[in-house]
Amino acid sequence: MKRISVCMVLLVVVTALVFAGGKAESAAAPVTIKVANYALLESGYEPFWKQVKVDFEAANPGISIEWVTAPYGEIVNQVVNMAGGGNKVDVIFGEIDWVPGLVDAGLASPITDILSKSFIDDFYVDVLKSFEVDGKPYGIPLYVSPYVLYYNKDLFTQAGLDPAKPPKTFDEMLSYAEKLAKLKDANGNKVYAFGQTTASVPVSGASLNALVFNFGGQVLDAKGALAIDNKGFRDAFAMVQLLDQKGYNPQNAKLKDLRNLFALGQLAMYYDQSWGFNGVKSINADAQRFTASAEPLKGGSGSGQSLLQAHCFILVNNGKSRADATRKFVEFVISEETLNAYLRDLTPAYPAKHSMAAMESVVNSGILAGASPAAGRVQVQTFIPKISDLNLELCALAQAITVGKENLDSAIAKFKNTATVKLSQ
Amino acid sequence: MKTHFLNRRQRDGLFGFVLDIPALALTVAFIIVPIFDSVIKSFQEYGVRNIISGKPGVWNNWANYLYLSKTDLFLKATIHTFSFVTAVVVVQFLLSLALALILNTDIKGARFLRSIMMTPWVVPTVISALIWMWLFQPQYGLVRYLISIASFGAVTDFAILNNPKTALMGVGIAALWKQIPLMSLLLLAGLQNVPHDIEEAAMIDGAGKVRRFYSVVLPYLSPVIKVTISMSIIENFKQFPLFWTMTGGGPNNATTTLAVLSYREAFVSMNLGAGSAVTTLWMVMMIAVVFFYNQIFRIQDMG
Repeated sequence: MKRISVCMVLLVVVTALVFAGGKAESAAAPVTIKVANYALLESGYEPFWKQVKVDFEAANPGISIEWVTAPYGEIVNQVVNMAGGGNKVDVIFGEIDWVPGLVDAGLASPITDILSKSFIDDFYVDVLKSFEVDGKPYGIPLYVSPYVLYYNKDLFTQAGLDPAKPPKTFDEMLSYAEKLAKLKDANGNKVYAFGQTTASVPVSGASLNALVFNFGGQVLDAKGALAIDNKGFRDAFAMVQLLDQKGYNPQNAKLKDLRNLFALGQLAMYYDQSWGFNGVKSINADAQRFTASAEPLKGGSGSGQSLLQAHCFILVNNGKSRADATRKFVEFVISEETLNAYLRDLTPAYPAKHSMAAMESVVNSGILAGASPAAGRVQVQTFIPKISDLNLELCALAQAITVGKENLDSAIAKFKNTATVKLSQ
Repeated sequence: MKTHFLNRRQRDGLFGFVLDIPALALTVAFIIVPIFDSVIKSFQEYGVRNIISGKPGVWNNWANYLYLSKTDLFLKATIHTFSFVTAVVVVQFLLSLALALILNTDIKGARFLRSIMMTPWVVPTVISALIWMWLFQPQYGLVRYLISIASFGAVTDFAILNNPKTALMGVGIAALWKQIPLMSLLLLAGLQNVPHDIEEAAMIDGAGKVRRFYSVVLPYLSPVIKVTISMSIIENFKQFPLFWTMTGGGPNNATTTLAVLSYREAFVSMNLGAGSAVTTLWMVMMIAVVFFYNQIFRIQDMG
C-alpha cells in the first residue's frame, strides 16, 4: 500500500511538472516573424528600419524580427521561392501593385484575418478599397500618395512664370512648357519642360495609368477587363506623343532619370510618387529650397484624378502566434510615433489613417502643401494578377508613339491586341 | 592465387564509373532534371500558386505554345536574339583576332596590355550593364557629351538605347566590351602554339604574310577558333543581365530577346508554364544552332 501511495504521489508530481512546464513554456515561447524588406538594402532607408527592429523588440519582449532582404526588383521572387520551399515570410513591405500577384499566388492573406477591427477602421475607407480583391483588403498602407506634379520654382521665375501659380490643366502646362523649354541650365544644357516616365519598368506603366485617369479615361473596367476604347485613354497617349514631338519630355526615362534631371535643374516639372522627392534631395540638398508640388493636371474632360500609390505591408497568415506578433508589428510601425520623423525627413507622403491626419510631419510638409488637395482625388484601379505585365505593355505603347515614331491609332490597336492576349492567358 | 569475378579491364571501367558518380549525380540533379521539369511545365498550366501550394500543374492542351503564337512578341524576340548573336559573335571574333595578332607581336607594352585588357572580363555582367547604361544615358551620359564635342555641337541628342533601331547595337557594344578580352586571350594562346618552324619554312618557300596567315596560322588556330566561337554563341544566346539592366527589353520591345521574354512570362506575369514554353523553344533553337555550327566546322576540318 505504501509503495502504491508513493507511486501515485510521484505520478501526480511528474504530471504536474510536465503540464506546468508546458504551459509556462508556451506562454513565454519566443516568436520570430520574418519581414521581407528591400528597403534595408537602400542606404537612405536602412537606419530607419534597423531602428524599427530595435524599438519594436524592446517594446515587445519575446518577439523578434528576422529581415529577409533582396533588391527591389527581386524581393517578390525571393518571397515566392522561400514559400515554395515551405518557408513563408509573415510580412512583405512593398508597393500596392504587388498585392494582386501575391493574392493570386495564394500567399497574401486578407488583413481582416490578422489585424484588429479597431485598427483597420482607422484607415480611410477609399484608401483600403484600393487594396481590395474580391471585396477583401489584402494590404495595409503605411502611407499613400497620388502622382504629384513637382516643379522647380527657380526655373519658373527664370521663365517669367509665377512660381506660386503652377499649371492646373494640360493646356496651361503646355503654355508654360513653351517658355520653360527655352531655358538652359548653368552649363548650357537643355532644360526639359515636363517629365512623364515611359521606360520599360512596371512603375512607369502605373504612372501612365495615372495619366489616363488625369484625362478621365480608364485602362481596366470594374471587372478587371481591358477597357481602353475611351477618349481619355487616347487623349492621354496623344499628350505623351505631343510632349515628345515638342521635345519637352526626356525620352524613355525612368523615374530615377527624371529625379536626377530635376535635381540638376534640367527638368522644370515632372510627375512622381511623393516619396520620389527623397531621390531628388539625395542628389541635390538644395532641392528642398526650389521644389514645390502641385495637384495632378486636368486633361480633356477629366478632373485630374490620379492613381493611388502606396507603400504597404502585405501579410501572410502563418498561424496564431506569428499572426499575433505580426499584428503587433504592423500596429507598431503604422503609428504616428514611428512614422512622424520618417515622413518628415525621408519620405514625404500622406498618412492613410484618420488618427495620423494631424501629425506634425504632414501638417508642416512644405513640399507636399501644393499637392494636398489631390490626396483624396484618387481613382481605384481594379486589381488583376497581371497588372505588372499590363503596365509594361503601357510603357511599350508610350515608346511606340515616341521613340518608335508609330501612328497613335495603329499603336493603340496593337497594344489592345497584345494586352488582350496577355490578360486572357 | 587470387581469382576475380571481373578482369582487369572491367575493374578499371568499374573504378572509373565509381569516380564519375558524383559528377553524374550533380549533372542529373542540376541540369537534366530541371530541363525535363521545364519541358513538362511548358505543357501545363503552372503558376506561382502551384509552387506555393505544392500542387502539380495541369495539362493545358498546348495553350502555352498557342499563346506565344497569338502575338508577334515571340517571333520578334527570336529575330532579336539571332540578330544579336550573329552581330556580336562576328564582330567579337574579328576584333579579338586582330587584338590577338597585335599582342602576339613584339610591340612594346604587350605584356602590360595583356594584363589590363582582362579587366572588363572580371567585372560582373550586371555591373558592366550599369556602367554602360550610365555611359549611354541620353541626357547626361559621357558618350552623349563626347559625341557632342566631337561633332562640334552638331549632335547633342545621341541616345543609342532610346532608339528602337539602335538599342540592340547599344547592348551589343556592352557585350563586346565584356567578352572580347577572354576571346582575345584564348586566340592569343592558340597563336602562340603555331609552330615557328612551319611558318619559317613557308616564308623560305616565298609565302607572304597574308598567305602564311591563311595557309599556316589559321589551320593551326582552327580548334581554338571552333571552341571560342561556340562559347561566344552560347554566351550571347543566353544573354540576359545586359538586356534586363540596360533596357528592360525596350524601347518598344526592340531589345526583347528570348531570354527577356522568358523572364517576363515566368517572373513578371508569374506564368511559369508560358515561361517554360519560351525556354523550351529557345533551348531547341540553341541546340540546332550549335549542331549546325559543329557540322560546318566538321566539313571544314575534313576539307
